[in-house]
Amino acid sequence: MDEFQEILQDFLVESFELIEQLDQDLVELESRPEDLELLNGIFRVAHTVKGASSFLNFDILTHLTHHMEDVLNKARHGELLITPSIMDVILESIDLMKALLHIIRDTSADAGIDVSECVKKLDKVSSGEIADEPVQAQVHVKEVVEVIAPSKEPESELDYENMDDNDIEAEIERLLKNRQAEDKAKRDSKIAAGESVVSLDSDEDNEESGDFHVPVVVAPVHVPPVQTTPTPRVSRADDESMKAAAPAKKEAVVDQTIRVDVRRLDHLMNLIGELVLAKNRLIKINDDVEERYEGEEFLEELNQVVSIVSLVTTDLQIAVMKTRMLPIGKVFNKFPRMIRDLSRELNKKIELEIYGEDTELDKSIVEEIGDPLVHIIRNSCDHGIEIPSIRLEQGKPETGTIKLKAYNEGNQIVIQIDDDGKGLDTDMLKNKSLEKGLITEKEADQMSEKEAFALIFKPGFSTAAAVTNVSGRGVGMDVVKTNIEKVKGIIDIDSELGVGTSMKLKIPLTLAIIQALLVGVQEEHYAIPLASVLETVRISKDEIYTVEGRSVMRLRHDVLSLVHIGDIFEVERILDSSEHAYVVVLGLGTNKLGLIVDTLVGQEEIVIKSLGDFLQGIEGVAGATIRGDGGVTLIVDVLALMDIAKHVKTKAIPEGSSASAQTSLEKSKASDYKVMIVDDSKTDRTIMRKALEPLGITLIEAGDGQEALNILKQGDHNFDAMLVDIEMPRMDGYTLATEIKKYNRYKNLPLIAVTSRTGKSDRMRGVESGMVEYITKPYSADYLSSVVQRNINFKSEF
Amino acid sequence: MSDKLKQIINKQQEAQNNSLIKAEEVVQLVGFIIGDEEYAVPILSIQEIIKPFPWTRVPQVPKHVVGVFNMRGAVIPLIDLRLKFGISAKKQSDETRFIVMRDGDEVAGFIIDRLTMAIRIKKSNIGPAPESMHGEDTMIDGVGKQEDRLISILKVKKLLARDF
Repeated sequence: MDEFQEILQDFLVESFELIEQLDQDLVELESRPEDLELLNGIFRVAHTVKGASSFLNFDILTHLTHHMEDVLNKARHGELLITPSIMDVILESIDLMKALLHIIRDTSADAGIDVSECVKKLDKVSSGEIADEPVQAQVHVKEVVEVIAPSKEPESELDYENMDDNDIEAEIERLLKNRQAEDKAKRDSKIAAGESVVSLDSDEDNEESGDFHVPVVVAPVHVPPVQTTPTPRVSRADDESMKAAAPAKKEAVVDQTIRVDVRRLDHLMNLIGELVLAKNRLIKINDDVEERYEGEEFLEELNQVVSIVSLVTTDLQIAVMKTRMLPIGKVFNKFPRMIRDLSRELNKKIELEIYGEDTELDKSIVEEIGDPLVHIIRNSCDHGIEIPSIRLEQGKPETGTIKLKAYNEGNQIVIQIDDDGKGLDTDMLKNKSLEKGLITEKEADQMSEKEAFALIFKPGFSTAAAVTNVSGRGVGMDVVKTNIEKVKGIIDIDSELGVGTSMKLKIPLTLAIIQALLVGVQEEHYAIPLASVLETVRISKDEIYTVEGRSVMRLRHDVLSLVHIGDIFEVERILDSSEHAYVVVLGLGTNKLGLIVDTLVGQEEIVIKSLGDFLQGIEGVAGATIRGDGGVTLIVDVLALMDIAKHVKTKAIPEGSSASAQTSLEKSKASDYKVMIVDDSKTDRTIMRKALEPLGITLIEAGDGQEALNILKQGDHNFDAMLVDIEMPRMDGYTLATEIKKYNRYKNLPLIAVTSRTGKSDRMRGVESGMVEYITKPYSADYLSSVVQRNINFKSEF
Repeated sequence: MSDKLKQIINKQQEAQNNSLIKAEEVVQLVGFIIGDEEYAVPILSIQEIIKPFPWTRVPQVPKHVVGVFNMRGAVIPLIDLRLKFGISAKKQSDETRFIVMRDGDEVAGFIIDRLTMAIRIKKSNIGPAPESMHGEDTMIDGVGKQEDRLISILKVKKLLARDF
């Protein structure tokens, strides 16, 4: 890397860090325009960027920052009070500055953005044309300065207020020198480390960014602290005494940080992964040895060693994971500014409260959750919080509050976004979705409250009556779901009409090494990421109902769709499964799905390994892991699984290979389709025959249930569907259906009830016994024909 | 005397050169049997040959991709060459082996019926693949003639390419 490039890199890393802090400070400044401390900090950012950019010949950037500096300098001297309209101009100029920096990062030049408009505005501000109440401000600032300034700058005892322009220039000169020395030290240390360093911003970096006088101590070169005017980063704490105490503390304890290439950390993480696998294996072997040599003396020693290794491995893993952690404050920082802009734009009064910004998350996840949060908060501002007049009418405080919380919960981190706005109206959501054709009427009727809330995540959904600049274009919330699912997170929405909405994003701490639930089907094992497992339930097989070709079960108050893991992973059913099964309830985003498995094996820590190029893109498989016994276990991709489950109608389960060969015979002509008509009345049979004959399919008749069952048992025909009367001698329709469903081979044979019984309980009994459709007599020939066609997947082209 | 010495030195050099040329012309292969045929792959493309051990089935792949197995921490696909070549599956015997082949970053294990031997064969004894098997699709790189038998030399790149 040549020298210019290196300086440029440093400049960019530095500038982005500074700007991040800047946004937060500026919003704070608006609420406390007289805070000299904040003003000084902001001024210095503009100044630093200006100095560096002029050195690097970025003329446009220099031009812009120069004018910003003018305005800020005036404000600093109390000649200007920061009013919201002035703040708008300053924020605009900072946005431009950011845009320029981005361009510089991408192209190494600062062309392409016109700053003249903004510069004009800045000039107007500094010449006092936009300023609102300068006189009052003067007094205001003076007062505060008297109180704050001395306590703030104990080292230099400089009072900017009383300095003339020359002094300030001199002061700036001095600051710049310090800065250069510091930069040099930084560069030296990097050269010493022998590589280009990718920024891994940590907590400490953040603090420095607001306060560049405290030197970064970068190992291995030690830089003695330079005596300067330390100005602590102003935190949200309004406590004056704390602020005053901060500089002294800062001087004493300088956090030692080192910048490390992310790739090195990734490599370290991979190595730890291997170690975890080896540990699992060691534990397994230890168990085996224990069994075989029970009571031997050396066992105890072995036990000790194994437990130490396992303990240290776990600690090591946590330690390495922590090095990759970033405080979520990195993401939260940009929201105060966003809220401020939005509330002005929307003419609403909104306050943002942030809690738990120190909560830490894996770097890769932090990068993914920024966008979803932006969309959620925008949505809350736009659709959630009402305009002040309406709020007052409803007896709420005029100012709406959005609370942004982050906290740990077990192996997950929860990000909670609460607003006290109007809440979600389920009826309205359903109507909208119906209008847009996102759901059917039937779905709308059956929807639980939570499912209705989840509608806002459907692609193409937008509830705002008018599309605003902020939201309502119907893309945003969809993105939220996609991104959260990408990091294996779960979204949980709660809302009360008129009271507010609360959204919880539950996100796993890290993605490389995860806890998994191991399940068994036949003789195979699969690993399901525990973060996506909500619960497991043991059910008996009669609790599974088939509705429209899909398996469902009742889970407390909800209906849960079910899918058998064997259907998804094409597991051959060799073993006769018992009467009981386990359902693993999976949750991802806002979706839920029940996965039927034969056995639950246990919980294990697994390391995700890729299947490689050769086997990439297998649906439903996220990767593989190596188990304690050295075998490979596939990891279930819950997201893909939910997709697949939508299309999997409980497929015909072949009983042995010969049956599968028969059922998989391609239908090449209409007469290859076979439908059995079971009815005791000859007339009824003939009516059905007449209705179906035009299709050209093969029809076989049976006079009652027993006869039908015998035909099936002979196995001469492969039926695609059966039309079953309910009232029949010898064996009625319900019993027949129940009997048929006992056969694995016919488990998924569509049974269509054709009856004059229309009562609700009759229908329910039909569903319980395994009927998929219910046709009531009298019926039209067309209707019968269409129902049959649908159930046998009839291809009309013959 | 010095003339003689020169002659000897020359002869030695010649001999050395000859052997070098010979080495360049000889291809080293590993032969194995699948069904009734003998096949071979260049020895340098083979990472290792191991006795069969358990593997894990993978769904949604063609029949000849039988699954994945763990080779010292790496998850590697396993392909049954009998099935790939359209021969019916056979129970594994004592002679069954996994050949792990590598081409660049691509690695896969292949199930073969039995190994024959390491073969040194002159380049000049390797003919092109039969006419009928020409084209992009063929897996056969060439046919080696050795004494009384013919050995089909397989394209490792083609074997390791994803074919579904």
